Amino acid sequence: MVRYTVRILHLVPCLTTLLLFGPTLTIRAQEKKTAAPVTVDFNRDIRPILSENCFVCHGPDELQRKAKLRLDTRDGGLAKLRGGGHAIVPKKIDESELVRRILAEDATERMPPPKTNKKLSTAQIDLLKRWIEQGAVYSQHWAFVAPQRPALPNVKESQRVQNAIDRFILARLEKEGMQPAPEADRATLVRRLALDLTGLPPTISEIDSFLNDKNPGAYERVVERYLSSPHYGERMAVDWLDAARFADTHGYHIDAGRDMSRWREWVIDAFNNDLPFDRFTIEQLAGDLLPNATIEQKIASGFNRNHMINFEGGAIPEEYLNNYIVDRVTTTATVWLGLTMTCSQCHDHKYDPISQREFYQVYAFFNAVPESGLDGSKGNAAPVIKAPSKAQLEAIAKIDAQIKELEKASEVVMKIAELRKEKKALEAKAGSSMVMQDMPKPRDTFMLIRGEYNKKGAKVSAGVPAFLPALPEGAPANRLGLARWLTDPSHPLMSRVIVNRYWQMFFGAGLVKTVEDFGSQGEQPSHAELLDWLAAEFISPLPSGGEGPGVKGRRAWSVRHLVRTIVTSSAYRQSSVVTKANLARDPENRLLARGPRFRLQAEFIRDQALALSGLLNREIGGQSVSPYQPAGLWQELASRQDSKNWSAQFFVQSHGKDLYRRTMYTFWKRTSPPPQLVTFDAPDREICTVRRSRTNTPLQALVLMNDPTYVEASRKFAERIMLKEKTSEARLALAWRLATARSPSEREMAILQRVLDKQLQTYNANPKAAADLLRVGEAPRDDTLSAPELAAYTIVASVLLNLDEVVTKN
Amino acid sequence: MNPILEKHLMQTRRQFFGRAASGIGIAALASLLDRDGLCAEEMTPRAGILRALHHAPKAKRVIYLFMSGGPSHIDLIDYKPQLRRYHGQELPGSIRMGQRVTGMTAGQSSFPCVAPMFRFDRHGQCGLPLSELLPNIGTIADDIAVVKSLHTEAINHDPAITYIQTGHQQPGRPSLGSWLSYGIGAENANLPAFVVMTSQGSGNRTDQPLFSRLWGSGFIPSEHQGVRFRTGNDPVLYLSNPPGINSGTRRSMIDATRELNELAAQSVGDPEINTRIAQYEMAFRMQTSVPELTDIASEPRHFRDMYGVERGYDDGGFARNCLLARRMIERGVRFVQLFHRGWDQHSSLPNQIRGQARDVDQPSAALVKDLKARGLLEDTLVIWGGEFGRTVYSQGALTANNHGRDHHGRCFSAWLAGGGIRGGVSYGETDDYCYNIAQNPVHIHDLNATILHCLGLDHTRLTYRFQGRDYRLTDVHGEVVRGILK
Repeated sequence: MVRYTVRILHLVPCLTTLLLFGPTLTIRAQEKKTAAPVTVDFNRDIRPILSENCFVCHGPDELQRKAKLRLDTRDGGLAKLRGGGHAIVPKKIDESELVRRILAEDATERMPPPKTNKKLSTAQIDLLKRWIEQGAVYSQHWAFVAPQRPALPNVKESQRVQNAIDRFILARLEKEGMQPAPEADRATLVRRLALDLTGLPPTISEIDSFLNDKNPGAYERVVERYLSSPHYGERMAVDWLDAARFADTHGYHIDAGRDMSRWREWVIDAFNNDLPFDRFTIEQLAGDLLPNATIEQKIASGFNRNHMINFEGGAIPEEYLNNYIVDRVTTTATVWLGLTMTCSQCHDHKYDPISQREFYQVYAFFNAVPESGLDGSKGNAAPVIKAPSKAQLEAIAKIDAQIKELEKASEVVMKIAELRKEKKALEAKAGSSMVMQDMPKPRDTFMLIRGEYNKKGAKVSAGVPAFLPALPEGAPANRLGLARWLTDPSHPLMSRVIVNRYWQMFFGAGLVKTVEDFGSQGEQPSHAELLDWLAAEFISPLPSGGEGPGVKGRRAWSVRHLVRTIVTSSAYRQSSVVTKANLARDPENRLLARGPRFRLQAEFIRDQALALSGLLNREIGGQSVSPYQPAGLWQELASRQDSKNWSAQFFVQSHGKDLYRRTMYTFWKRTSPPPQLVTFDAPDREICTVRRSRTNTPLQALVLMNDPTYVEASRKFAERIMLKEKTSEARLALAWRLATARSPSEREMAILQRVLDKQLQTYNANPKAAADLLRVGEAPRDDTLSAPELAAYTIVASVLLNLDEVVTKN
Repeated sequence: MNPILEKHLMQTRRQFFGRAASGIGIAALASLLDRDGLCAEEMTPRAGILRALHHAPKAKRVIYLFMSGGPSHIDLIDYKPQLRRYHGQELPGSIRMGQRVTGMTAGQSSFPCVAPMFRFDRHGQCGLPLSELLPNIGTIADDIAVVKSLHTEAINHDPAITYIQTGHQQPGRPSLGSWLSYGIGAENANLPAFVVMTSQGSGNRTDQPLFSRLWGSGFIPSEHQGVRFRTGNDPVLYLSNPPGINSGTRRSMIDATRELNELAAQSVGDPEINTRIAQYEMAFRMQTSVPELTDIASEPRHFRDMYGVERGYDDGGFARNCLLARRMIERGVRFVQLFHRGWDQHSSLPNQIRGQARDVDQPSAALVKDLKARGLLEDTLVIWGGEFGRTVYSQGALTANNHGRDHHGRCFSAWLAGGGIRGGVSYGETDDYCYNIAQNPVHIHDLNATILHCLGLDHTRLTYRFQGRDYRLTDVHGEVVRGILK
């Protein structure tokens, strides 16, 4: 990302606007030339000021409230003050104590108090005054009001409208006087789509078929191709694994292993089958509570068992049981509500209307699991179910069928007995998966004073925050009821929060950039109406949809439809080439006057290298594997004489095709996660993460240059082009196209050719160096190729894998 | 764009690590404006987010010698001659006051007090009493401030070490070093701001694990996490070229990569490409600067002997890491943290702690002396301590020459030296049983606030906006411990 410097430099002229609007700064910055708004809008102009500067003492938290004054509600702001007078007297700034206090010269009188390190700007003071003058109108926080499908705005450049998304984007650009970028060229588009929808680069035949498809609908056909690829489900699952804090170890202290691979498979299948998102939600939050729950539905409920689990000797079980439940509340609220509910674990929320009591009411939903606070030393922690792998299930079904066949003929009793034995053995071998379960009698839930596990306050029962809709009529007060509540089409948050995260997946930032916080301290949407339109379309797509082609498969809650809608928009299809003027104007590309361009995420950088080299093992699902990792990393941190008592204490590298599985299957040890992935900003998976940082560091360069994974991939990539083509021109051009999807320019070819020639010299003169280089990695080398030549091409391939363009979605 | 600004922009981006844009607070933006914006101040290598420090710093860098596992303050530092009288007697209920103890001793029927089985000697002009196990640290008594009244709520390793490192018992928050990297950045463009090294003590080989979260960056951008330096060919992961690629080949690869990236930068216009070009140059320079840094064979023998690098104690790691820490500090690494494992003496304490103390006593003292001799101690803060202390009562049976001690968070000891710290001071007192604090409690948040203070930072003002809240290392707590400051 590395963007502040850029952003700051040209924001200088509009410092006041910038300081004023904090979280919405880049968008606001565009309005620098417009005068301050004539009509003050509470949500746009006032709430951010009050929230940032006043709510900590004069907000929802009753216990901490100073002078009994609350400013987050109109009644509160207009109420009579203890010492007489009123904080706000509509239309009368002279009588409003609030105005007097924000202007007070005397530091003991001034608000916000100097000790808070907060200070209102002149512009902010002016806005507050004008707001009061105009009647001090309050309105409900935008995100807490259910979205309505907005009308589509008219735009001048209607020829650029591929679907409804573009109307909203163009309307804004036209208002700002900005021109959208032209459509990207086809090579860029096919690579962008392949990487975005499958996490893998396009093949030459995929590139060519798009380049040569002159019929209308060519682009949409590429979209459909990737949307129906089995790798689509994998790609979509990767971000979900972050949100679900998925890992292969328990995470605390000894950090022994667990196996939730069946849950991961369930997620991949769900995306590939386009399981409607309401079902996706219900099964993961409460699959176990569904009537006649299937094994798969129970496995799905493991979502809320993916949190860290402890068995440190001497730890107190109640303390950790509390931690697990708090984690479930936090994760569920972040993922589905975009609320920072954890803030109300110890006290009422400082900014949003969530009381501490309500936190524990939501907690109560998750406090009925028959689990122990200390568990996991032997692998998966109870409750678990037997979860045969898909192959095992198939084998069992086959035996069942055979038995049925044989039973018709009565003389083969022996054979049947044998088959039964075989079946039993198979079942015994099946692994397990951690699941949710509710005890017949849930534990009592108490508010915990200051959040401390052993300081019980008032008893509470399961329920949802009062500022949100009530549980649906007839819904049980358990996790199933909670899931039904979340997925009720009238819920103001859930659909917005979800579509916003998918927007982030493709454009690099959400329409609400704070994807994890839709509350009062979160960013306001850059395109509020677009967000609402997407949310409405997600829940109940119109038969005619937005506009334009690509309307196949409209179903309620279809993620695939949502993704299709996003990637078929012209906003997405724009070129990402940026002019200096637009870079200065909108460094973060929040207005989308150009296409998205950002570095691939950790997993896809490696997946791409494996794919280009031909090493990629495309098998989907299954257990985690351990590709190359520097020796000793785990042991240096955690070796113990008794380490053999637990799993996942000794790194055992995989071999053969397991070395080349997609990166989402790399064994994830929480206390020492795979370094090459962490270097590229993969989170540690200790807690729910819905937004990764995106950094650009020298350590990343070292990984791409020196990690055996990439050295080996370069060698196999080199072999591939050498076997496919005969001349150096053809080989280099092929390599370039594989890596970037486009043909190289003459200049680019000349540089590659120069590298090749020079390295041919080097390795011809030093065959030992060539042999050494070619020995990196376990994949066998093609002996038919000359070693110095292969070494030289390996260097060229490595240069390609290190290019900015190659590690970036362009 | 204005060409001068553009040039400046390019310069500022040529930094060791890039920077990510999320979560930056308004105040920080304003400071950035001042610093990175129009004032033509030369960029320091990857300056932090703060334009100016909050007050004049006493320390510019930190070396934190972390004693992982919970060293026994009773046997090492917190001298209580009175304990002899209570040796073998039940810990009175009036002292224990029903406080929670770990699951490991909760079931014990008896809690006999144990006096240290070691002699204490007085050292320096200040007459600091220290266990006979720390003779070398005794020789720097007049340079260090001992804090005997540290306390924490956590009573188990994972939450306790996570707490002291990040200000929170549960995972997810940035560590001290990553806060410093974020706040004040690096002094040397060719080395990371925050380096971590680990070693395994000889006292207890079945000791507590470390976790990468202890030097993680939590919710602040991941470039601020600690970079682990290891022994062997790759002090930094993936630093060396693969076999068959020499430095000349590497150089021409980077040149070709740069040329191709420059072409892309021209046609695409994304400044991120220029950053990547700069990072490859930096990586190349690290391939030289890091091995030079870690080459301790280049140190004169008497320095290696002074630290005890070749004594063959523990895994050889701690002494070596201390010497490396000094070399890093000399080269401008902001924060070096050493983790030495093995301090968890639940049983066989007398024997185990001898080994542990021997591992660290000489190198720790040598480090302080060496820094002092080089004039570096003045602006380098050195901290020595663990995540909690140990109980006065025996865990398991108390015999004539053996016993154990359980975890104890109600009081424990640490020492600090250098940058801004008053030497020869002892701060805080515990009761006669080394069980409760009698005077001047210092919470681990206070310790962290003090560390930041020495570096010129107000712990209430070094914040990062995450999930709508301005987070701090010290959460909503922390008071600077003035009593140990100069």
